[in-house]
Amino acid sequence: MSGLFYRVRELLHHIEKGILALLLTAMVLLAALQILMRNIWDSGLPWADPSLRTIVLWLAMMGAMAATRDHSHIRIDLLSRFLPPLAKGASTRITNLFTGLVCGLLAWHGARFVYFEWQDGIMVFGNIPAWYAESIIPIGFGVMAIRFLLDAVIGDQWEEQE
Amino acid sequence: MLVTLLLILLALLGAPLFAVIAAGALWGFYGAEIDLTVVIIEFYRIAEMPILIAIPLFTFAGYLLSESNAPHRLVELTRALLGWMPGGLALVSLVACAFFTAFTGASGVTIVALGALLYPALKESGYSDNFSLGLVTTSGSLGLLFAPALPLILYAVVAQQIGIGGGITIDDMFLAGVLPGLLMLILLVGLSLWSARSSQLTPFSAKKAMLAMREAAWELPLPIIVLGGIYGGHFAISEAAAVTALYVLIVEVFIHREISLKKLPDVMRESMLMVGGILVILGISLASTNYLIDAEVPTRLFETVREHVSDKLTFLLLLNLFLLVLGTMLDIFSALVLIVPLLLPIAIGYGIDPVHLGIIFLANMQIGYFTPPVGMNLFIASYRFGKPVMQLYVATLPWFFILFGAVLIITYWPALSLILTGRSY
Repeated sequence: MSGLFYRVRELLHHIEKGILALLLTAMVLLAALQILMRNIWDSGLPWADPSLRTIVLWLAMMGAMAATRDHSHIRIDLLSRFLPPLAKGASTRITNLFTGLVCGLLAWHGARFVYFEWQDGIMVFGNIPAWYAESIIPIGFGVMAIRFLLDAVIGDQWEEQE
Repeated sequence: MLVTLLLILLALLGAPLFAVIAAGALWGFYGAEIDLTVVIIEFYRIAEMPILIAIPLFTFAGYLLSESNAPHRLVELTRALLGWMPGGLALVSLVACAFFTAFTGASGVTIVALGALLYPALKESGYSDNFSLGLVTTSGSLGLLFAPALPLILYAVVAQQIGIGGGITIDDMFLAGVLPGLLMLILLVGLSLWSARSSQLTPFSAKKAMLAMREAAWELPLPIIVLGGIYGGHFAISEAAAVTALYVLIVEVFIHREISLKKLPDVMRESMLMVGGILVILGISLASTNYLIDAEVPTRLFETVREHVSDKLTFLLLLNLFLLVLGTMLDIFSALVLIVPLLLPIAIGYGIDPVHLGIIFLANMQIGYFTPPVGMNLFIASYRFGKPVMQLYVATLPWFFILFGAVLIITYWPALSLILTGRSY
């Protein structure tokens, strides 16, 4: 792997972390602002609640993308603890390949879903198209598919070679 | 059938559970000739449940607390207040852990953040190695039944999605957890007092207590903000979560300055790893549950169970055993989203209140965390304290039996869970 590959990857990870932090900060502030407005002026921003719910989805997808990189998805992992190293390596590749393919399928159907919503001109609120919010689904599963497939093909040491 | 077995094998080999569930749902809908975008449409519902806003916010607050010196202040405070009693330090550990787990959601964070402080302190005051290990490992999941623990929220969310059982709210779950949680706490304190007859005591000092109070002054109002806010009718749950997150953020980053602004994005990312893991499983399981209900699996399951189990008591006993085994294999969040949709209709068929079922479920899963041979907290503690897992099996055994007793009481005495909620029993 070339140095450029790693530099680009590092940059992408930083962007990913930045977006996560930004989304979470926005969520905390927006939710707090909403309470303030409700209690003091007895009103609220009409777009705040749909935005907060959209941020939940985005945090979920971005968190799952990051969890893929950190190998911290929830799993049972009962058998592999007892496997010899060679078999363990093989089983890790198989499960990564499987997960990569499933994520690929989810990304594909996510993209179709976003396309349908775009075609139908569905709005989340006001004149914000729903597909803006929904596009994180195919993007997230797509990135996860790439990460899992890379793990399956190259092995997960590609992550550690910083 | 072959596909099911293959999926189970992949799960046991360590494939992420969301992928296993997604594959099952995709395969099921494919077989039923339904367009597979249905999986994504169901998944998108995580953007349509306002209550889910509470999950990232509470999780973030919990991570901030565990990354700061709050665990240390919490231990110092409870020690100054309770340390003079016989078995005081054990009491301190149990109370502090329960409090901390309620905020961090039993993710192993308690053992890592608090256990590291408590384990040496316990040994120093003369408790045996095994007693101390057993206590900190067991306490890692104690507090799961106290608000605002994530599993209580998630159970209500899942139960609401199935849409049976007449409106379970998160408030119901928060109230229902109080007495069963206290029962567990009291029984464990009892065991500690009995084991600690010979340990040394620190005399009570008003000065020290005041000092510790002042140190923890900023963290002390947290339970009041959360519980007072919700039950005083000031906040909805997600609002309480927002206030908690903002409050903890200001206290730990700007007042105590224990988490630098530079480090903040890392803590945020760390906390969102867990949120991503949980919510993706939740979203995918919305699709798989939809498929299972379409295929009338819960109804057929209920009929099968009904054929073999005629009365409620036998059912409850089998339920306890089933959940005990389940708890050793599945983590609490996956178990909630996967098993509750199947279990709830059956339990209602036997006349069990859905809120009571939730408490039974969570109490059972709580001891699953340290049930040998594969309870997750056993491994976390083994790793954290550098002790062989075998020693942890032995060390946690008395605690396990006591809490299993508590689970039985909780199961067969519905009033304990339901009396505060005002539901009939």
